[in-house]
Amino acid sequence: MEIERQLLSTVDQALLLLMILIIMFGMGASLTTREFGQAFARPRAFLIGFLSQFGLMPLLAFSLALLLQLPPALAIALILIGCLPGGSTSNMFAYFARGAVALSISMTAASTLLALIMMPILLDLYASGFAEQIQAGLAAEDPETTFIIPTGNIIISLILVLVPVGLGMILRHFSAGWAKTAEDTAGFFGIIVILFLILSVSVRHGGLFFRTPVEIYVAAVGIGLTGFTFGYLMAKVFRLPYRHRRTISLETGIQNGPIAFAIILLSFSQPWQNEMLWLAVLYSTFIVITSSLVTLWYRRIGAYDYEVHRNEVVHQRLFGKDYQSPQPRDNWLKGRSVLRDKPEDLVR
Amino acid sequence: MPQQRLIAPNLARLYEKAAEVFGDMPAFATRLKREHWQPTSYQTLWDRGSSLAAGLASLGVEAQEKVGLFADNRLEWILSDYAVQIVGATDVPRGSEVTVEELRYILEHAEIKFAFVENRTLLRRFDQATEKWETKPTIILMETPPPERSEILTLTEVEKRGAVFKEENPGLLRKRIDGIEPEHLFTLIYTSGTTGTPKGVMLSHANMISQLENIPLDITWRDRILSLLPIWHIFERVFEMITLSSGACTYYSSPRRLAEDLVDVEPSFMGSAPRLWESLHHRIHKGVQKSHPVRRALFAIAYWLSKHYHRNINFLRDQDLLTEKPRPLWRKFKKGYAALFWFLLLPWYGFFNATVLERIRQVAGGGLKATVSGGGALPREIDEFFNNLGIAVLEGYGLTETSPVLAVRTPRKRIIGTVGPIIPGTEIRIIDIDTGKILYPDATNSGGGRMRKGEIVVRGPQVMAGYYRNPEATTTVLQEGWFRTGDLGMVTWNDCLQVVGRCKETIVLSNGENMEPGPIEMRLRQLPGIGQCMVVGQDQRHPGLLVSPDPEELAKIIPPTLSGEEQNSRMLAIVRKEISPANGFKIHETPRVIRILPRPFSVGDELTKLFKLRRHAITDKYRELIAGMYTDRDQR
Repeated sequence: MEIERQLLSTVDQALLLLMILIIMFGMGASLTTREFGQAFARPRAFLIGFLSQFGLMPLLAFSLALLLQLPPALAIALILIGCLPGGSTSNMFAYFARGAVALSISMTAASTLLALIMMPILLDLYASGFAEQIQAGLAAEDPETTFIIPTGNIIISLILVLVPVGLGMILRHFSAGWAKTAEDTAGFFGIIVILFLILSVSVRHGGLFFRTPVEIYVAAVGIGLTGFTFGYLMAKVFRLPYRHRRTISLETGIQNGPIAFAIILLSFSQPWQNEMLWLAVLYSTFIVITSSLVTLWYRRIGAYDYEVHRNEVVHQRLFGKDYQSPQPRDNWLKGRSVLRDKPEDLVR
Repeated sequence: MPQQRLIAPNLARLYEKAAEVFGDMPAFATRLKREHWQPTSYQTLWDRGSSLAAGLASLGVEAQEKVGLFADNRLEWILSDYAVQIVGATDVPRGSEVTVEELRYILEHAEIKFAFVENRTLLRRFDQATEKWETKPTIILMETPPPERSEILTLTEVEKRGAVFKEENPGLLRKRIDGIEPEHLFTLIYTSGTTGTPKGVMLSHANMISQLENIPLDITWRDRILSLLPIWHIFERVFEMITLSSGACTYYSSPRRLAEDLVDVEPSFMGSAPRLWESLHHRIHKGVQKSHPVRRALFAIAYWLSKHYHRNINFLRDQDLLTEKPRPLWRKFKKGYAALFWFLLLPWYGFFNATVLERIRQVAGGGLKATVSGGGALPREIDEFFNNLGIAVLEGYGLTETSPVLAVRTPRKRIIGTVGPIIPGTEIRIIDIDTGKILYPDATNSGGGRMRKGEIVVRGPQVMAGYYRNPEATTTVLQEGWFRTGDLGMVTWNDCLQVVGRCKETIVLSNGENMEPGPIEMRLRQLPGIGQCMVVGQDQRHPGLLVSPDPEELAKIIPPTLSGEEQNSRMLAIVRKEISPANGFKIHETPRVIRILPRPFSVGDELTKLFKLRRHAITDKYRELIAGMYTDRDQR
């Protein structure tokens, strides 16, 4: 796959960056400082989530890159995606998947901050090998140019996107109503961005969709799906409640796409930038579809568990903190749709 | 998910069984204050109910005796009902709105010797009703009696007494419970009629149990049900029985506290009336109107998407209203089109549904899976609004005489514009009002008789045994098991029932008040200027009046030079003075909107040869005019 021209024009890039700022602002508007602290309120679930996001996900990305034998630049992009913090859309998906929204929000909040430390370390661990491959290739042609992972730039890009998040939080502090509007608008922009990118790319590089090799599609779709699967399994191994499993699963698979765009645009140069951006575009497109489907699935299988949980929550809120919600005697639950009291009694 | 319900041969056995299976699970919850409710478990309810039952027995309440139950929704209501059922008696319920006259009539007609009374207000009315009686019924008061009436028994006392009596007479209640036959009455409900006298509807244990077996609603032990409508109405009562047999919990609320309680309880199910949805609709609209233009625009987009999304998905799932015989090929073709449209809308709908509509849905508590609306027709526009919003408002249909459910929309057959399919075990016929011919089912008709309009007549296990001590009234509506509902309806091509009006003249307002137009019209016809007139207002908040003028006379009292609006309002002032409590009319019967028609009614068109009103013809002819009387927001 060769992308001969720039994937995005300079105007497009500027627009994209602007939209990213708006999205990050909206994400900030959904957060309060309390959410950061709440991570410590349920340390177990949070720790497992952390392991899943920053332990499992980068490893999955790395393994996928090796398994699919991706070209080094794409491998770096995939690992970069794997190391990203959670996106704010995961909160919405967690809500509809009948998950634990509070856990999702605090994981998003905390991982966004922790990314400042974790991303450089993880990229160094997993991506430096691929960087050396690029460097080796370059050295053969022209010993003057060099390629290294621009760790400093990445941190700066991260800090840059965190500024609107902070501004959004300030808005939230002063006006919850406006913050909600900002959050929705940003969510809407999320969809617009993806469509804008796809449209822009289609116009400039008509056949790119067809020229993209299948393993790149597999990587773009697979990183999300494996994230969902292994995130769920991890939470299951640690015997977390079902709704936490669903939350961690979604939180692991859904990464903050806009940050990936920002980092790639601000930290990597051509010709690698094109390929890396393309993978990020594909990931962002497919993750919306896969996470919607997974959410619908979770919503279905989680209905029973969620109803029981909701009932307990309401009981404890209304009847007192110590109220233990009893359940029907065993025989009730064994599948029969109508329990008759001695059928022969029923004169009809 | 399949329904999981307890079924027993009678209600007393059902209550007993519920205590065995559901034990300590909360059955009812009463609000003490905001965010603070008191649960009562199935076991407690059974224990207290059977003590109270023993107390009743110790007072001398016999099996099948009629026991008055005059109270609104509260724990003591269900407790009293438990006691009455366990002791094998029949309750005669009415709420706090009962008048002295009605109370007197009911006490007399049902020969009530024992009655539960809610509070001092009702006690005063009770005293007035029985003022001149020599032997007065024994009162069991749910609250503390006034000091000067300290001799009155309280529910707590009777319960205490019964707890002892139960120990002393083991086997007493067992005998009573086992003595209940399915055809014994569990309740006797006096419907409030405005003309003539109230009629006592006799409903048996078998009637109610059949409803528990056949009503297709997915209520499970994990549900929270808000009790809002008056419990003495059979519609709310059947809901509480379904709740009990499913092991769910009923939370007692009231219309005043509704907004708060929706947030507190997050109900997952409730029985509701059209009024509730009208006021929620109003509230949502006001909220949207007041909000920021960006939000308003977002809502408009979201609603538009949702409307079209639902229209297409309903068509794809054959859930659209079929008023004409479907043409399969044409439908297949249109389905391809609908599928394409649906697919294009899906992502946008998905997003706006998740962000915008979900928040609007919180107005109804956020946890609502579905709600059944009954007790009156749900205006189409409101019905569509909530279903498009994603709140499953299932409209149902029934009467007190049918315990009450005859038909209800189910999640699988949620066809808007109908009251859903007839519930299992019930037969339906549509009868021509004039000739008595069976229009549906009709094998000779190519459509089997679908979409033909006539009186709805039903037969099934939920149909009452008759009106208490009123064989004439019984035989006019009930013959060979077939019950005449008095409602006009037809069966759609989806095999769902559409209710389109009343055969009788009785007008039922949206607040459930009944009124007979006859006496009002008769009085108004005496006024100069009014040639003929007709009261309208079925399913509306208040009655309206169509005036067929006597032009010459009218000109003498209202100058014809005035604008139509001015003429209407002058006429309204005259009418309001005439139809007033001073002249023996009830306040809710006074017309509040009026239209003087441009042309008098004519024989053969609006009138029969005997100068009687052809109400259906008039309603059809002036449909738009009547609708216009009620669309003015100020009038609502």
